[in-house]
Amino acid sequence: MTFQHMSITTLLYILVLFIVAFAAAHRRKRGKSIVSHPHIYSLTLAIYCTSWTYYGSVGRAATSGLDFLTIYLGPTLICFTWWFLLRKIILISKKQNIVSIADFISSRYGKSTYLGMIVTIFAVFGIAPYIALQLKAFSDTFNLISGWSSTNNFAYHCFIPQLPICVDTALIFASFLALFCILFAAMRLDSTEHHEGLMAVIALESIIKLIAFVIVGLFVTYAMFDGFGDIFTKLLTNYPEKKDLLLITSEDNNGMRWFTMTFMSMMAVMFLPRQFHVMVIENTNHNHVRTAMWAFPAYLFLLNLFVLPIAIGGILTFNGDTSLADYYVLSLPLSANQEALAVLVFIGGFSAAAGMVMLEAIASATMILNNLVMPVILRFNLKMTDISGLLLNIKRLAIVVIIFLGYGYYRALGETEALVNIGLISFMAATQFAPALLGGIYWRRATHRGAAIGLILGFILWFYTLIIPTFIQAGWLSTTLLSDGPFGITWLKPTALFYLDNLDIWSHSLFWTIFFNLGSFLTISILTKQSAEEETQAERFVEVSTWNKTEKKRTRLSKAPTILEFMDLMTKFIGEKEANAAIAQYLGDREIDEKGSLSEYEIPNLKRFTEKTLAASVGAAAARIIIENYLSARGSKMEDVFDIFGTVSLSRDASREQLTVLYEAANTVSSGADLDSIFDSILELLYRQFRFDLCVIRFYDEHQNKLIVRNFHGLDADFLSRADREINEDTCIGKSYISNKVILANDSDCTDKPVSMAIINREGIKSFAHAPITLEGQPIGVLSSYSHYSKGIYTDEFIELYKNLAAQIGIAWRNATQTNKLIAASEQERELRIAESIQLGLLPDTMPKIAGLDIAGICIPAKQVGGDYFDFIAQPPDLDIVIADVSGHNIGAALLMAEARTFIQARARLLVSPTVIIDALNRFLYDDLSKAELFITLFYLKYNHNKKLLTYGNAGHNYPLIYRHDTNTFEELDAEGLILGIEKEVTFEERHSQLNSGDILVLYTDGIVEAANNRDELFGIEQLKNAIMENISQDAQTIIDNTMTTARMFQGRRHFNDDVTMVVIKIEQ
Amino acid sequence: MSDKSTAQQRQIWLIFLFLGVIMLNFPFLQIFNHINTFCGIPVLVLYLLVGWPISILVIYIFAHTIKDDSNSSEKEDD
Repeated sequence: MTFQHMSITTLLYILVLFIVAFAAAHRRKRGKSIVSHPHIYSLTLAIYCTSWTYYGSVGRAATSGLDFLTIYLGPTLICFTWWFLLRKIILISKKQNIVSIADFISSRYGKSTYLGMIVTIFAVFGIAPYIALQLKAFSDTFNLISGWSSTNNFAYHCFIPQLPICVDTALIFASFLALFCILFAAMRLDSTEHHEGLMAVIALESIIKLIAFVIVGLFVTYAMFDGFGDIFTKLLTNYPEKKDLLLITSEDNNGMRWFTMTFMSMMAVMFLPRQFHVMVIENTNHNHVRTAMWAFPAYLFLLNLFVLPIAIGGILTFNGDTSLADYYVLSLPLSANQEALAVLVFIGGFSAAAGMVMLEAIASATMILNNLVMPVILRFNLKMTDISGLLLNIKRLAIVVIIFLGYGYYRALGETEALVNIGLISFMAATQFAPALLGGIYWRRATHRGAAIGLILGFILWFYTLIIPTFIQAGWLSTTLLSDGPFGITWLKPTALFYLDNLDIWSHSLFWTIFFNLGSFLTISILTKQSAEEETQAERFVEVSTWNKTEKKRTRLSKAPTILEFMDLMTKFIGEKEANAAIAQYLGDREIDEKGSLSEYEIPNLKRFTEKTLAASVGAAAARIIIENYLSARGSKMEDVFDIFGTVSLSRDASREQLTVLYEAANTVSSGADLDSIFDSILELLYRQFRFDLCVIRFYDEHQNKLIVRNFHGLDADFLSRADREINEDTCIGKSYISNKVILANDSDCTDKPVSMAIINREGIKSFAHAPITLEGQPIGVLSSYSHYSKGIYTDEFIELYKNLAAQIGIAWRNATQTNKLIAASEQERELRIAESIQLGLLPDTMPKIAGLDIAGICIPAKQVGGDYFDFIAQPPDLDIVIADVSGHNIGAALLMAEARTFIQARARLLVSPTVIIDALNRFLYDDLSKAELFITLFYLKYNHNKKLLTYGNAGHNYPLIYRHDTNTFEELDAEGLILGIEKEVTFEERHSQLNSGDILVLYTDGIVEAANNRDELFGIEQLKNAIMENISQDAQTIIDNTMTTARMFQGRRHFNDDVTMVVIKIEQ
Repeated sequence: MSDKSTAQQRQIWLIFLFLGVIMLNFPFLQIFNHINTFCGIPVLVLYLLVGWPISILVIYIFAHTIKDDSNSSEKEDD
């Protein structure tokens, strides 16, 4: 066959595959699925037989004998367990909408993201060699049948010169496979990951594999030789030294190896990602397992029946040359000039390789998308309206990456290793998933840490005991590693760890990997605790067959989202069409009220459904994160409401009614209405739902030391509905409050409380319940309910509910109180701001300009609003200066100051002397000051610049200072006078003083002299005088500034406690 | 199907699994581990190539005693 013939044949076959896939997908859309059939299912399982089986088995049989059978005996054995094991896994996966093995493991262990990541990374690592193997097989066989030697790969450019020189068969093959994959598995984000077309193709390929192999087998056995017996006899006579092939020799610990390989195959047939995918994910009906249980082993048997004859036939035909034993299947027909048969065989092998690569690529791409990429996207919170397009492209990219990763491995390492070993390495990798997965579905106590550490250790050891030796064989690492161990540490030799040196490489690896994997899995699971989510998941996984019967515990939700909001969420991730379809399916048999929203009962169900739907596209862990973020971002105002739905365990019958009560109550509490409305709502709820006659809320009142009625709903009986209760044990209510316990009673129980009895009988009450309203465990009131039914209605469940309601009342009360406090505080804050701005408005904007006078003034308000004020009234040549301090620190004080200023500004020009002004001011303000209980100190002076004469009066203010330039001393301007606001009739003393050039007049308030340092020493007048003394040569403003600086330094801090006011007037020389 | 019979079935399955594992491993294999031929076919090969279909037959018989599981007919509730 020439290259051209082969290419055309191959392309034709691919075309057939396309058609089949397309037809199957099309039929599925029309509702008739050809794939959903138990025998088709069994055929898809046969993807287990790749070109490794096809070619490698023969190779192994020819070189090492019977142990190739273990790879198929193993799956047969594990089929015994399938009805229980596989079905359980399938049931779990359907219920949880699992899409891959990484999803399964991560979901079981609390939907943990990092565990999913670990499994994905290991799965991808473990699979690259296997893909390389398929590419190699295809490449070699294609070249063989086209008549090229298998080493001459780079001849394509002879035909198509434009192609680059490195393009070889395997590369082209890989590209086709990638394309096919994308076309039939990554056209949209299917919410269930069913790939009809692909499954049909795989089933077809399984049939072709089998037919081709059996025909070749028949040909070799009966056409080239004379039957089974003949072949064996010929071998034994011609090559007696090869008889060991027919035995399992006891040397070399072959027994151990036999067992190891059987065990590995048992695990691999279930846990290789592609196997898991076809077995579990693509399964449409778990009853198909019943057929697959025997059909699949039967397939394996038929396929392997002729392996041994073919192998031996090859040995016989090629004179014992087993160097290309792998490809006996092809070379035998070729040698007998049966070209058509050879092509058939080739097609069979091609089927095997193609199916495996595609399926493995898709399964791995799904895992990469859901477990590696999605968490990253979610962490970085990429805001896109519809990322389903992005997700799809990432999936396609992942498919391409994986296939070409395999290609890379093939080019790098493919030549050095026989096919068979590569496959076994992948088997060992798949075995590492067994403890975590099997343990997860049978052992509730298994925790995610145990699983993670088990996996990690298993894989490290797998790498060390199997991959490193491969590297050594390829020449990448030195062989001394093998003989002496790393850095000469002999007990770390890769094939003889810890001195265990008499096992073959597989048994050795299996032992250590499983020892560390399973050992740490068990140990650490016992030592660590599970989170709540993990426990729920563990329960769901382990108890899946009884899951339907346990009650569904509903967790609390925030304000109810509507269907539309859930739909929006889904659209974002899986696209609009898928979201619509999912919702339509869900709504089919649900109750919807007229507004298009669901009844409250359905909201938790809807949440779960959305989570599951999303999980199908993005994985369980990511879906959980999305839903939780979404709900909390909508503002759960219910953080204070403890998990009422969780603590109240309800049987299904009573649940609806009671859940409604709880839900509505919680809603009311969080609604933020005023307290009375909330209480009324809760009481009415209680009254209505349980048909009480009366419900009352009483709160403890500190002043009266009683329980005072706050709200009631129902019949209006004075004693029951309105009267307070003392804090004693005479009444049931009092007793409930004091003992902090729920009290239930029938009318007959109250015989010791005659008053209560009489009233109860009169009103026809048969029973009542009192529950303490608690806040942080302490009772603050009592919730009472009276019923004309007898006590029997109070079930345990009801009591729980009742207690919870009482607690909710407590929380509502606390919320309201806190709110009130907050409001009060903020109002106070505002008041201070207003006062401050009023006060600052009173001060003069600019200093008056009078020739010969240097005037400066400052007023620094303290943090708390003070009440200082100073002002000038300039009527040249007169200058009036007033400085004052009011005792209060609020708006009232500020307003009074404003009043004073207005009065002064208005009257000062008319009234002649300071004392007259002060007196008038006192009378004017006396009433207001008395009512407000405030006082004002004030100093008023008139200065006539022509005569340099000061006239002044004082109302209890600090005596201003005059620095006399001539004598270099200070004088105080003291004058008698009472503080304003104490008495109406006050005599104010008026005095005079003469100023000279160079004198400095300083007016101040007590803020500066009462500035204290941290030893509580006051600044005092002396220091004030000193400070001024130091600056007498400066201008007025500088005097003030430096004095302030000195005072601050004395204080040791920046801010003063009281307002600081200073006015300095320098008589210029 | 009642729980009791399911449990019983499960036990029987497990027994068969163990049997299978033992019979397809050492030391049972050792019994046949010599070169005698039977109709020209070595005994070991024969043992394996006959024992294997027998196991499959056992599974087949068992599979037919299992009734269809009720789980499959339930509609998926959420």
